[in-house]
Amino acid sequence: MIIQYKKKRGWLGTVFLVEILKGMGLTLRRMLSRSVTRQYPEERPEIRIGFRGQHALARDPVTGGSRCVACMRCAVVCPSRCIHIEYKKDEQTGVREVQSYAIEALRCIYCGYCEEVCPVNAVILTEVYEYAAYKRDAFYFDEEQLLKNWDRFIEESRYDPTKYVNPFWRPRGIDERTLAGPRRRSVPDDWKMENQWVGTGMTKSRKTGARCDVGGH
Amino acid sequence: MSRNEERIADVSGDALSEVFEVQMGPQHPATHGVLKLNLVLDGETVLSCKPDVGYLHRGIEKLSENLTYSQSMPLTDRLDYMSAIANNTGYCLAVETLLGIEAPLRAKYLRTMICEMSRIASHLLWIATHALDIGAMTVFLYAFRERELILEMFEELCGARLTPSYPRIGGVRQDVTREFMDRLEKFIAEFPSRLEEYETLIDTNRIWLKRTKGIGIIPAEQAIGLGLTGASLRGSGVDYDIRKHRPYDAYPYVDFEVPIGISGDVYDRYRCRMEEFRQSVRIIRQCMEQLPPGPIIADDAPDLVMELKPPRKVMAGSTGPSPLKTALIRLVEDRQAYMEGDVYVSTEVPKGELGFYFVSDGRGMPYRMHIRSPSYIHIGALGVICEGELVADIIANIGSLDVVLGECDR
Repeated sequence: MIIQYKKKRGWLGTVFLVEILKGMGLTLRRMLSRSVTRQYPEERPEIRIGFRGQHALARDPVTGGSRCVACMRCAVVCPSRCIHIEYKKDEQTGVREVQSYAIEALRCIYCGYCEEVCPVNAVILTEVYEYAAYKRDAFYFDEEQLLKNWDRFIEESRYDPTKYVNPFWRPRGIDERTLAGPRRRSVPDDWKMENQWVGTGMTKSRKTGARCDVGGH
Repeated sequence: MSRNEERIADVSGDALSEVFEVQMGPQHPATHGVLKLNLVLDGETVLSCKPDVGYLHRGIEKLSENLTYSQSMPLTDRLDYMSAIANNTGYCLAVETLLGIEAPLRAKYLRTMICEMSRIASHLLWIATHALDIGAMTVFLYAFRERELILEMFEELCGARLTPSYPRIGGVRQDVTREFMDRLEKFIAEFPSRLEEYETLIDTNRIWLKRTKGIGIIPAEQAIGLGLTGASLRGSGVDYDIRKHRPYDAYPYVDFEVPIGISGDVYDRYRCRMEEFRQSVRIIRQCMEQLPPGPIIADDAPDLVMELKPPRKVMAGSTGPSPLKTALIRLVEDRQAYMEGDVYVSTEVPKGELGFYFVSDGRGMPYRMHIRSPSYIHIGALGVICEGELVADIIANIGSLDVVLGECDR
């Protein structure tokens, strides 16, 4: 497709600055319409579920501590290698006990891999985005701080901690078989594969369950 | 003798002429990042222009040699940060080719849809800064208003605005929600009228025409010789678009046209990108209509935690590959789970052709990764284009080539 030029300006348009006046008219119209600027500290943006913000360890309502089992998957998958876990292994039972769990938030690139691979839904990137500090030490989150972050997140967001599910823990639309661990909690119905959004041209084939034919254009 | 050569001959024959050097950048706001240009000027005329890059080098290619394939994926967000999802998709396609897996149809459609959204987001930033550089500030404000809508949709989709890491090797991260699709539908219904607003402001504006018409002309042969791709090449009248000529993902199933320029000046490249906006809207609308049901990630897609040593079984996290794939993998199962050899896959990102070249020695990480980034090649062409033009035209040329330094220096 060859691009089209607009019609050349006539002498009338040249003398009366028609195209410039048109532009000014548009800006004038926009000036009088409602402003789209969000006045940030007073007016807060709506945070979508699944936002990747401050790190936290989910507090287990039963034990009061974290749910981490030191499987080391998050530490291994982290592209910037900012998760440090130390654990002790019980010789007889083989059960691992977390000694320390720390995240260096200044090295983190917020890719969300850690929460995605966690088999017990322990680590999470919360919806908290205001955590500036003056010292670098404030961004070295140890286990205690991470649990505090969780408390702050639950308090600010008013989620029910027993029912909260993060979409990264349990990706929307992903088959349950591909998920890592059995301890994943059940998800809202509209995250399930049966309820996925299907194109309007596809409604017929969806009902019959037949694989739609889209090739051959 | 071309106009530019005439101008150079003119000034060098002048007895009063005085040649001097100017270093433009790397902090100059109109260089779109940290680009430095070593200019030799005679008055206002540019005698030579040598780009100096590397101020934003982070060693992404080298870093990825020490990270697994899935770990390197978030790094590609940081290449061209205007359209991070397009980079992710190109990377994932390359790794999929290497591992011999294919994304499900629904994932392909989702990727195509999101890639076109990021094309709109990238082009919006281009029109904003390009117009701002030339002096039309209003377009800047209007374009950012629309870009914000797209970034908010990205946030709803995957939790991040600028660095989404949305595609995965063998599919995508998560499914779209109903709210997301409603918002997208509203956006593409409204967006064409917004495009007309930008065009009202600058398309026939005499100042804009003076600054862009006949400036930075690249003849078609020269554009091919310089290795330009994307809208910068198509502005010169060369019909080359990877989405059409080597279609990937869901591009073979959708109907769209490739806008082509006539004279190859700044104005034609501007018109090409403006038409691409409309084509992107068209592609998104078709993807929304055709979006099929089904899984969003392939059954034999590798787990995020990739093994470094060749694993004994097919791949970690797999849940029964398709019979054909099993046969394929069984052939190599005894030796390696990951393919050996090299692969080059290129995709059409908003800036041009982005290629990923992998050399694999059968481990879970590349032996060598090379990125063919369009911006690097476009900046290389900048010196040739700017020679003999005026200093102010350099700014128009940088804007019209649409370079981003994060991708150039990588």
